[in-house]
Order: sequence, then structure tokens, then C-alpha cells
Amino acid sequence: MTDRIPRLGIGGPVGSGKSMLIERVVPVLASKGYSISIISNDVISKEDADRMRKNLATDRGLLPENLVIGIATGGCPHTAIREDPSINISVIEEIEEKHPELDLIIIESGGDNITTTFSPSLADYFIYIIDVAGGDKYPRKSGLGIESCDLLVINKIDLAPHVGADLNVMKQDAERIRKDKPYVFVNCKNDTGIDTVSEHIIRDLLFDSMPKVTLPDRQRQ
Amino acid sequence: MNTDDMEQDLGMMQISDSFFPTGLYANSNGLESIFQNNKKITHLEVAEIIEAQLKQQIGPTDLIVMLNALKFASAREFDKITEADTRINSMKNIKEVREASKRSGIQLARCVNEFAKDEILQKYLESHQKGTIDGAYPVSFGLCANALGIDSQKAGLMFLYGFVVSVVGAASRMGITQHYQAQKIIHELKPLIIRIVSESLDRPIKDIWQFAPHLEILQMHHERMDSKMFIT
Repeated sequence: MTDRIPRLGIGGPVGSGKSMLIERVVPVLASKGYSISIISNDVISKEDADRMRKNLATDRGLLPENLVIGIATGGCPHTAIREDPSINISVIEEIEEKHPELDLIIIESGGDNITTTFSPSLADYFIYIIDVAGGDKYPRKSGLGIESCDLLVINKIDLAPHVGADLNVMKQDAERIRKDKPYVFVNCKNDTGIDTVSEHIIRDLLFDSMPKVTLPDRQRQ
Repeated sequence: MNTDDMEQDLGMMQISDSFFPTGLYANSNGLESIFQNNKKITHLEVAEIIEAQLKQQIGPTDLIVMLNALKFASAREFDKITEADTRINSMKNIKEVREASKRSGIQLARCVNEFAKDEILQKYLESHQKGTIDGAYPVSFGLCANALGIDSQKAGLMFLYGFVVSVVGAASRMGITQHYQAQKIIHELKPLIIRIVSESLDRPIKDIWQFAPHLEILQMHHERMDSKMFIT
């Protein structure tokens, strides 16, 4: 059996910026030499996977095209990452078998509600992303995703003044609900907070380990 | 009914329950492709499609392989299990369907292996690990039924019931059937399920066949759809 490659689960409501977060974080991690595969669970299409494949693999060459994989979930995105993650696990194990050189596998959940969580057998580290446009009540509403994730990402902070959201309220509620667990304010459009998210992934999921294959070695391959 | 019988029944309920983690909820078995081509499909047509699948595809192929796998597992005939695994995969012409069957099969076997230790089931998983078998849902299901002490008749009923529920569930999620209609379809298919299982119990594996060209074309079409909710 091959070694388990660290797995990062990213969940959050539809339109909160899950795919965009991946598109912003992957280049940062890739620039540090980490090899990554992305699995995108989508409710209705492979659109997100196709877009990420184009943006990250085809256009920028940050990872091979065949390592961006879309999975249909039968309209049950929460089931596919929580109570029955078997489809995702099958695909991941096939990736682990074929690509032991990978440093990280990112699993993007289909858009879902605030109770979304990842099965620990599927993801080792869980980021839940919400966006300011949903209103500043979001962190206060709690829900398993917001409460239990390893890192809460609050996206689209630039929209706060336009939607009447108070970032201070969100900050206070996030701290109260999550106690000592971290949260990050992010604007994926201009990369605000993206370095912080990347640092959390490297430190808390990859435990500061070096990439398995160094960049010069990869360029020679 | 003694406690062994009750335990067998509970095992049957456990692995035929949609809560059991095999990923079947993400399969429509071609129904999504039909729905994309004809949004006006009714719940009555869903019942007809499932009936055709039971008679022409799942019944004469998957069910017989599953029942034989159970028998081979009970007799500890691992070579025949390997052969059944190869044979069923060679009969699944559609890559998407074949891959889904392999993945669900291995996940089913792994899950049951966590709580019902069985030498043959263990060997099946080890063989998959070594790459000497591909894995297939019907074979895996037969091995798991054997590991849980479930007899052929009950295994056959739960196998077809599970198939029907996965397709009817897909129909409900696509909005084709309403919840009462979905249960009515399941209920009305019971006599057919019973008949197919009864007729299949003693059929040898060499008798497997399938003939559902229209369904297969639709399943092929599903592979190429740009937008889909379901794996098959």
C-alpha cells in the first residue's frame, strides 16, 4: 500500500469562492515546489474542474492536466465528502498509487450548506470558506462547517461596504464561535490573505515538510 | 426465528441500506442521459426503464455473477471468483459503468472487511491491492453477503432492491418522480424482483447474457455529457 498523501478538504456554500481560493493558493504552493492534485466535486457539472484545469494546468503549467479531476456526486455533495466518501477515496487512492511523488491532494466539495464537514477518513485538514456578501451574520450562525473546520476563510472582504457587512462583527463572532481556532480574511481577487492561507496549509497540514521532488529535479524530468 | 437468522437479516438490512457507503447514490445508470434528451420523461417511464434494466442487463448479468460469487466464496473457490471478476468486467462495455462498478465494489468489500472478518473477502482485497483482480461490484457484493452469512435468496433480493433504489433515487433528485411515486415504483417492481431472483438462483455463470443496446448507447452518451450530476 502506498503512503497516504496529505489531503486538504475545502468546503463552503455555492459562490463563496472555493474554486477561486484553490486557483490562488495553488500557484503559491507550486512556487515553493509542492506537487498538487485537485479533485473537484460538483453538484451539476465538471465546470469547476475544467476551469481549474485550464487556469492552473493548461495555461500556466503548474500541474499536469490529468491531475485536475472532476467528480459528479449525484446531487449529494455533502454525502460525497462526509457519510459516504467512498467515490472520493477510490479516486484518491488511484492517484496515490500512480503519483506517489505528490505532496498534497486538494478535495473541493460541491457548494453546500453551513453544516458541511469532511469525513476524517477523506481529509486531514479542512478549510471552510464563506463570503462577506452572504451578510455579517454568517460566522454567528455557526454550523458544523464554520465551527469545526481547521481554518475558516472569510472571502470577498472588498464587498463589505457594498453589502452593509461589518468585518468587525464577523471577526468578533468568528473568535467567539471558534475559540482558539484560526480564521483569515481574504480577497481572492487581489490575493489579500492568500499567503496566510498558504502558510497555514504548509505549517498545519504539511508540517513544514519539504517538497518530495525539488524544483530543479522536476524541471529535469 | 433464531438469533443467527436475525443477525443474517440485520446484515441484509445493513448493506442494502442507502446509508451503506458504496457510492451508489451517485449512479443513475443511464437515466440522467435519458432525462437530458427528454425532460418530459414521466415516473411511469422511469418504472419501464428500470424494468428493462432488470430484465435485460442487471438480472441476467450482474445478479447471476453475484449469486455465483457468493457460492464460490462459500466453497472457498478463489480461482472461480477471479474468473467471475474478469468475466463481469469484460461484459461491462461502457467504461464509465465499469469503473463505477470497480470502485463501488472495492469500497463495499473494504467496509465489510472492517467488521466481518472473512478469509476470502480478505484475499479478494489483497488480490486487488496486488493488481491481480480489478474488482467488480457484483462479485464484491456476493463475497460480502457470504461474509455476513446471508443466503443466496436474500442476497439476490437485496442486490436488485439496491439497484432499483439507486435509480429511483436518481429520478427523485432529478425531479422526475415525487417521493410517493418513487416508493410506488419500488413497490410495484417487487414481483419482478422476486421472479428474477427465483429464476436466477441456480443459473451457472456461463449463462450470463445481456441485450440492452438502446440503454448502452444512452450510457455511452452519458460519458460524453458536459454537465452531469451522476457518475453513470
